Amino acid sequence: MRGIRSILTALAAGVCLLAPAASAQLGGPERYAQSELISERTSVAPGETVFVALKMTMEPGWHVYWRNAGDAGLPPQLILKDTSNIPAEALGEFLWPLPHVLPVVEGEIMDYGYDDEVVFTLPLTVPADAAGDVRIEATADYLICEAVCVPETQDVSLVLAVGEPAVDVRNGDLIGAWVSKVPAPFPGEARIDDAAASWTLSLAKAGGFPEGARLRFFPFGHEISHPAAQPQRAGPDGASLSLTPDRAGKVGEALAGVVRVDAPGAEPVGYEIRATRGSVLAGTADRAVADAVVAEAPAALGLQGLLALAGFAFLGGLILNLMPCVLPVLSMKALGMVSAAASGHAGELKSHGLWYTGGVLVSFAALGGAVLAVREATGFATLGFQLQHAPTVAVLALIMFAVGLWLMGFFELGTSIQNTGSGLASRGGAMGAFFTGVLAAVVGAPCVGPFLGAALGAVMSQPAPAVIAVFLAMGFGMALPFLILSFVPGLHRLLPRPGKWMETLKQAFAFPMFLTAAWLLSVLAGLAGAGAVGWTLAGATALAFAVWVARGGGTIRRVAALTALAIGFGLPAVQANVPVGPAAGAESVPSYAEDAWSPEKVEALLAEGRPVFVDFTASWCASCQVNKLTTLNTARVRDAFEAANVAFLVADFTRKDPVIAEELKRRGRAGVPMYLWYPAGETQPRILPELLSQDLVIGLAEGG
Amino acid sequence: MKLTRRHLTLAAGMMTAVALTAGALIASTAQAAPATGGAAPAFAGVTAAGGEISLADFAGKTVVLEWTNDGCPFVQKHYAAPPANMQGLQKSAAADDVVWISVISSAPGKQGHADASRATELTTSRGAAPAHVVLDESGEIGRLYGAKTTPHMFVISPGGELVYDGAIDSKASSKVADIAGATNYVTAALADLEAGKPVATPVTKPYGCSVKY
Repeated sequence: MRGIRSILTALAAGVCLLAPAASAQLGGPERYAQSELISERTSVAPGETVFVALKMTMEPGWHVYWRNAGDAGLPPQLILKDTSNIPAEALGEFLWPLPHVLPVVEGEIMDYGYDDEVVFTLPLTVPADAAGDVRIEATADYLICEAVCVPETQDVSLVLAVGEPAVDVRNGDLIGAWVSKVPAPFPGEARIDDAAASWTLSLAKAGGFPEGARLRFFPFGHEISHPAAQPQRAGPDGASLSLTPDRAGKVGEALAGVVRVDAPGAEPVGYEIRATRGSVLAGTADRAVADAVVAEAPAALGLQGLLALAGFAFLGGLILNLMPCVLPVLSMKALGMVSAAASGHAGELKSHGLWYTGGVLVSFAALGGAVLAVREATGFATLGFQLQHAPTVAVLALIMFAVGLWLMGFFELGTSIQNTGSGLASRGGAMGAFFTGVLAAVVGAPCVGPFLGAALGAVMSQPAPAVIAVFLAMGFGMALPFLILSFVPGLHRLLPRPGKWMETLKQAFAFPMFLTAAWLLSVLAGLAGAGAVGWTLAGATALAFAVWVARGGGTIRRVAALTALAIGFGLPAVQANVPVGPAAGAESVPSYAEDAWSPEKVEALLAEGRPVFVDFTASWCASCQVNKLTTLNTARVRDAFEAANVAFLVADFTRKDPVIAEELKRRGRAGVPMYLWYPAGETQPRILPELLSQDLVIGLAEGG
Repeated sequence: MKLTRRHLTLAAGMMTAVALTAGALIASTAQAAPATGGAAPAFAGVTAAGGEISLADFAGKTVVLEWTNDGCPFVQKHYAAPPANMQGLQKSAAADDVVWISVISSAPGKQGHADASRATELTTSRGAAPAHVVLDESGEIGRLYGAKTTPHMFVISPGGELVYDGAIDSKASSKVADIAGATNYVTAALADLEAGKPVATPVTKPYGCSVKY
């Protein structure tokens, strides 16, 4: 459909060029924009300067360009046709309103411009000897594009009486409104640091930028890659943008352009800047700001991914039943059920089972709702991927450690909640059953730790229904054993009896927690260096200290414990946020000769005639680690690679890297792992499966 | 319970879900286009004549790459006859043993897309004289070179070095009348190569319609 429309439009455009009159017969408009010259005045005095404007109204979906059109396109022009009445220099330059981005091909071709309606204001200096009237006869000459581009021209004219100045209120208002959209000079300092491969534009301004503001730089020239993302950092005194230079991009004396600021709930604001060369301004780059694109369009998990997640959540829910905080509740109820069944109330039992399930599900749905509310309120999801955000990783590691301590039995949680709940749950009837469900969920909540944590991490960026679905799956897993028991009471004999083994099991679950914490620390080392790991370990010690102090009870001890707790979480989070240069951190010990990947490197190696294996990996990618463990770091594979003279390249995506991101995108991959195999002498790689096997990889090496 | 590979895989599943979500979230997209002064990226493609050519076939010869889309007004400007600017460049290239390759990177259904017969018909009807017309409907070659607009011109030296990347001439407009007064960068680059001099203007900003990938 779209194709047909494009062809028709192209046809229309072609015909339009050859015979303008004929195009109307095709059903398309004669032009895709209507242009009009307007003025803030109906009459003007000789010698004064007034504002006139070219107003363009476009067909839906069509756009015209900013003064810098970006990668393609051309800015509109107003050309005086007749200079007998006013000289050419009487008309000034356009005042360009703040443009928006026009991503023509996402990530590859970016234009800047306007759609719907735009008003280009320009000053008119009335000749001192003007008499009678001032006539402007001009041609609006512009390129207008949708999927295709059409150059259009339209003759426009304006006649202003010369005499007592008189205002045109309606057009004056319109022009005034559009002049207010013209970027103002930046009320602060702008610097461009072009020392590194990616440039940093820093903008300092009293009071900084509004909370949640997203900035984008529109250059007047072509020094930077227009389609590249502009990762943003912010601080108390302003913000900074990371810019990707264009192939031939160089900063002369300064980098000039417009910065567009989009803050939540506010009209976009534009500033004209001229950034002089120099190092990044202090207080503008303290923390990363998520990309607005990320916030708008979180990658939705496919149905399959969602089902898998829900499956894991369901399993997690089942395991919750074995937790020492849940099993006693269940056992008591189960025994009660047996006696009820014995006294011939089997029908009632079934309804109790259903009520219980309802109680659990309502509680988990409420929990999911709370998580969503927190997400809305804090914008947590817009932080982007948590495992690339050092403070989050540090705090996650500490939470895992704390959960481990709790599982070990170092401290107790939530006993008072359990007592309140059990009062309600001990009531008889449907209400009793319902509240037992609620109680099981509430007392189970602290036990959820590993399962909920993992599920949360995965669904946090997902749409609300997916989040709720995962929580409900976990709740259903938790409710299922009791539901089955209520329908088949005889099965209760199979229930394990509560006992010391529960405590042992709980303690055993501490070790996966500690291991997770250790893994998070290794991720942190890659992100923020060894210093951050040290601070996080110190924080963990502070946590343990807090637990130890709080055990004795009493106000002083509690205060001391809270202080230690605050330090324990706060310090690592702050310290982890200190940005590190690309040279620091993540120096993984190569198990055999491996080299950092770059497209040029691949090319060079291929030119040497060597086969190339590229490992796109990240320390936070678990399947990457599995593949290393089972395949890539094994002696068999290593020997096979050595024998076949395979060059092993590693593209480390632990920290965001635009070149790697581009390569992943080019190969149609959403993320790591990705494995590329270039047989000797071939420039096109094979993309290998995400889970490798030794036989597969060795087969490739021996075959190529 | 034996910890088999399968279990490991299963355990990795959830983390993979996280990682994949993350990967998709990462919106960095820098262009890794070639730079002038470096080796021109090797490519191979099918031609309108039905054969397959690769850059390596023309080692030792100067090669011009022209990105084109017959529906684009900027391309129409340079093919308009008179003055038949593009056709003239192609003919003089052929006379100088320069290999002129027109590349059509429009995706199927998009403006300018051409199969072999349409591409051949376009060459005939416009009196064009490229050595080859490469059909790049996947956009692979276009992306390899970072072609942004139609026209977008590249010149490759006999030694395989990319020596020019940019606009066809100095007047960014869609008006035929502007051709006469403009400096043609491709002609200039070819003249510099011929004279054994480094190309004076190796990079310009290309102008035109966006390539319809």
